[in-house]
Amino acid sequence: MSALTLYQLVALFLLSIGFFGLVWRRTLIGMVISIELMINGAGLAIVAAAQLTPANAVMGQIGTLFVMGLAAAEATLILAIVLIVVKRFKTSQAGEISEMKG
Amino acid sequence: MEILAKLAFALYALVIITGAIMAVTAKSLVRALVGLIGVMIGVAGMYLLMAAPFVAFMQILIYVGGVSVLIFFAIMLTKASPDGDESSPNSLRSTLNALVAMLAPGIILSVVILRYPPESFPRPTDVGAFDLGEGMLGPYLLPFELISIILFVAMAGAVLVAWRKWGDK
Repeated sequence: MSALTLYQLVALFLLSIGFFGLVWRRTLIGMVISIELMINGAGLAIVAAAQLTPANAVMGQIGTLFVMGLAAAEATLILAIVLIVVKRFKTSQAGEISEMKG
Repeated sequence: MEILAKLAFALYALVIITGAIMAVTAKSLVRALVGLIGVMIGVAGMYLLMAAPFVAFMQILIYVGGVSVLIFFAIMLTKASPDGDESSPNSLRSTLNALVAMLAPGIILSVVILRYPPESFPRPTDVGAFDLGEGMLGPYLLPFELISIILFVAMAGAVLVAWRKWGDK
């Protein structure tokens, strides 16, 4: 098994366990943690593909840095949205938040 | 040298796997966050193994230093209960759904990865921070500027969203 395959399997593990957590968790914060797991797996896969294949290595590493920036932006926005939701519904359990009103 | 690299890979993979399982199954959200931080550090170690030290440094700086603190703030501000927010047992149905969501992409993609491995080097390409800087100010200048605009908009939007007073109308 080549080194690239091993790295890709680890990244795939992170993706699938992130999916598991996203469906299984019931609190909003638990879902955010699962999404971060998936984003980490994506970064690992991009850098592995950039460093271990004939592809452009600079582009891959810069792409991973952009993914990190997007993840930081996304985490900030999710924090703000979760704060609003908890203020309004007094709970962060996703199953109990079932009412939409403008 | 080869054996050392394999040992380091096995160690990081172990850290990632235990951390990920802890992050997904821990009853208390703070413990889940600790597992997530373990995963981030393991991924940073793998970046180092792939000869990408700048990305590894940024991983530590942004994820371990920034995103995890943000998530911890979110846990604190949503008044997490001390005996764990996820302590009541999950229904069988949601566990089955979650297993399907995990196995469907996992099995399909692992078959693809194992069946059709692309041509790859055993040793990573050597790219220093100097090349990355030249790339960011050269051919990838536009995405570099766009990401700063996105970050600005996200921060401003987060402040705006969190400041709006609900129910004050």
